[in-house]
Order: sequence, then structure tokens, then C-alpha cells
Amino acid sequence: MLPGFVRHLFPTVAGLPAGPLLTLSLRSLARRRPGLFERLGEYRSACFGIDPVDLAFAFRVVPDGLRSSVRVVSKDGAAGSDVLIRGPLLTLLSLLDGTLDGDAMFFSRIISISGRTEAVLALRNTIEDAELRPSDLLGLHGILARCVDTGVLGALGAARRLADNSPSEARKA
Amino acid sequence: MTTTRMELVCPAGTPATLRAAVQAGADAVYCGFRDETNARNFPGLNFSRDELAEGVRFAHDHGSKVLVAINTFARVDDVDIWKKAADMAAESGADAIIAADFAVLDHVARNHKQIRLHLSVQAAAATPEAIGFYAARFGIRRVVLPRVLSLQEIAALNRAIDVETEAFVFGGLCVMIEGRCYLSSYATGKSPNLNGVCSPPEMVSYDEEPSGTAARLSGFTIDRYGRGQPVGYPTLCKGRFKAGGKTSHLFEDPVSLNAGGMISGLKAAGVTALKIEGRQRGKGYVSEVVRAFRKAVDAVEKGGEAVDIDRLLAGQSEGARQTSGAYEKKWR
Repeated sequence: MLPGFVRHLFPTVAGLPAGPLLTLSLRSLARRRPGLFERLGEYRSACFGIDPVDLAFAFRVVPDGLRSSVRVVSKDGAAGSDVLIRGPLLTLLSLLDGTLDGDAMFFSRIISISGRTEAVLALRNTIEDAELRPSDLLGLHGILARCVDTGVLGALGAARRLADNSPSEARKA
Repeated sequence: MTTTRMELVCPAGTPATLRAAVQAGADAVYCGFRDETNARNFPGLNFSRDELAEGVRFAHDHGSKVLVAINTFARVDDVDIWKKAADMAAESGADAIIAADFAVLDHVARNHKQIRLHLSVQAAAATPEAIGFYAARFGIRRVVLPRVLSLQEIAALNRAIDVETEAFVFGGLCVMIEGRCYLSSYATGKSPNLNGVCSPPEMVSYDEEPSGTAARLSGFTIDRYGRGQPVGYPTLCKGRFKAGGKTSHLFEDPVSLNAGGMISGLKAAGVTALKIEGRQRGKGYVSEVVRAFRKAVDAVEKGGEAVDIDRLLAGQSEGARQTSGAYEKKWR
């Protein structure tokens, strides 16, 4: 879990630019790897609410290929989605890059889901097969892609270690 | 004891998992098409025709085989999609088709003589007579044994048949007779053996309630979990129910088969291939389990014992509990 001050550093308004950027990123990914979205089948038009519990805002994602959209919304705004996935930001990011297993995170209650279970399953299987790296989301290739992947994944790993060793986690243990 | 090296057969729900299994040391990978022709017909899972062809190329380049499960039962008025799936598997260059339905077995035997036929566990063939019939009529080369036989029974069976046997060594267990699950069908109207889906996810819900989380299947409450308590996927056979004033897993405990310590026994019983279950599981599971079993099988093949496997895989078992199942059957 990220330290509590992060929530105050990034109020909802600070997250707003992420919506259009992530929308462009998803649509670009759909152009490059259309097969990835085909795996979602009918669930590509479902609305997935992603709620990182340690941020002040949430996301509403429709992973519909070239019509994909990502909106930054308030916590309440994510509640009406077809599916709501809640969990610590670093855990959610680790599911994207495949560092952590979604089933294990769900069964051990580190993430929670509600809504259409079949859509979550389709999304989990799609992400699992996609083997996404940060450079895929940014549309980068070659040396630049390798540098970004190394940097972002390294930073994520460091953040995870930091969060695991944070005083709040130690208290819980 | 057989002199041939035992084959490690591993699950692949997606192309990425297929690659992971091959790279972790699978001798063969089994997978299915993205439709109701295979017994793991879940959203986002399985292969398209092109993905299978690519997967076969990848596996063959790395010295592994691909076995395609077309192992649900065809419907009276709609056999064509099963036949088409068999055609696609053969065209993709797959090494074997795993089937149970007579129509599918007959279609492959008549039209694709170059591809091996394996009898799926769904057929529940557990006697020399039954297996002999499938071998004589359809030319099956291997039978996947139902998880109801003891080691002694498997050894006796192998002495009486002329086809290879494949035995499950790791993964979920099912209380129902293989190939005939009526519990999920009763609750959901969809059959694991006809539609390829046990506890279809569109009928699964997790509802937050004041007392905790209720896991439901088709409106039936299968289990309740307190705050923070680990949850499970609500299959009816592994639900907790109140009967006679006592709450318990009435049909079956959520426990996994782990026959890692019995690999040498299975080899001595004449088993040709060891099967790991879990096409619904992710790459992490597949990589870890396949790697552990690769080590164990290699150790046994060199004349040693697979001693570490229980410890290596404890975290991957359903309910974190393991059993050797019927292999050490003492109740009969």
C-alpha cells in the first residue's frame, strides 16, 4: 500500500489528465495488437471500474479496441461500473505487468471484485495473455522501449519493496 | 518398471501460458479452442485457429508436443463444430487430439489418421474392456485415467491393455464421476461435460454483506467468508453447507491432488505420461508447477526420489491442502 500522503499529493483533479492519455494509449495498443482485444469477446464493451484504494480517484475503463476509453472519476463515480476492481495501486500495476497472479490476489483478498464475474475473468485472462510491458502502453520500440521497461519496472519493484517495508505494513504484520 | 521416459503433460489456457509451460520444461502441452468443444470454456481463455497453429510451431521448435482437447460431448443436432475443431487441430499440426465423444473419435479416426487420438478423462474409461473397445474401434493410442484408481489398479490395468496411460499428478479434484457432473448442471443449467463450463462465471457473484462476503452460484449461496478470510471460487461440490446442525464441506473439501511423491510409483505401475491440471490458471502457476514437476520427474528418471515437491508446491494448491487422492485408496 502506498503511504497515506500520496492520496493528499494526488487529489482527483491531479489525476484528470491521465484519462485522455490512457485513452490514447489503449487505442494505440488496439491498432498495434488487435488480437489482444478480440480475446475479451463481448466483454470489450463492458465498463470496468478500477479503484486504487490508495489514490483519491478511480478509473472507468471501456477496453473496446479503437473505441477504448479511460475516464478519471471520483470513488463514487466508479461504483456504477459493470465490474469494480479495488486494490492497492502497486498491486493493480503488478497484475498488469504479470508480476503478481490475479487469482492469488483475489483469493487472498488483497484485491476485491464485484459485479459481472465473467467480465473480470475475461479481462484477467486477456491481461495474462497480453504480457504487457510499459513500452507497449506507450507505443515505444527498440532501445527506447527497453530503457523505459527497465526503468519503469525497476521503479515499480523498488516501490513495492518500499511499500512492503513501510511502517504501516510492519504494524499490520 | 517401464524403461521409456515419462512425459510431462502441462496445461495452457492461453498462448502466453503455452510458451511459459514449454519454457518451464513441459514435454507436451494441452489446450483447447475458444468455444464449447473443450471442457474449459471460460471467457478470455483458449485458442483461435491461428493461435493454435502458432503455438504448435513454438512448441515444436522447442521440442515439445501439443495435444488439443476437444473433449466435451457433441449435441444431437450440432456435431459440426466438434468435427470442425478436430479438423482445425489436425491442420494446425498438433500431435494429438484428446476426445471422449464417439462422434469426435470416429470423425478423427476416419479423416485424420496421421494424428494420435488420446481418450479424454471425460470418457471415464477405467477397465481393460472399455479401453480395449476404444482402442479397437477408434485406434486410441493413450487413455487419460480417471482419478478414481489406486496405484495397484493402474498397474493391473496397464498389464491388461496395449495403449499408453496418462495419470493426473497435480490440480483440482472433482467429487463427481469423471465426465458426469450433474451438480453444476442442476444449479446453472449449463453442463461441464456438454457446454465445457463448471460453475459458469456469469452465474457467479460475490456479495458484500454485513456478516462478510457471500459467494453465490446462480443465486445459491455456496459459502460465506468473514472479513479478510481467503475466498474460493464457488463450485457447488466444494461449498459449505449446514446439515444436521453442523456446517461443513458436505460433498468435498477444497483440496488439491498432489501426487508428486508418487511419481516413481506411477512409473512402476507403467504410466506413460503425467498430467498437470489447471488451464484456468495463470502463467505464474504453470511456470512454478511445471518447473517443480520437471525436476521431480527428471530425478525419478535418474533413479532418485522426488522428495521436495510437496514443499515446492504447497502454495499453489487449492485451499493450500493436498491429497494423494485415490492413488493410495484405503477405503475400498
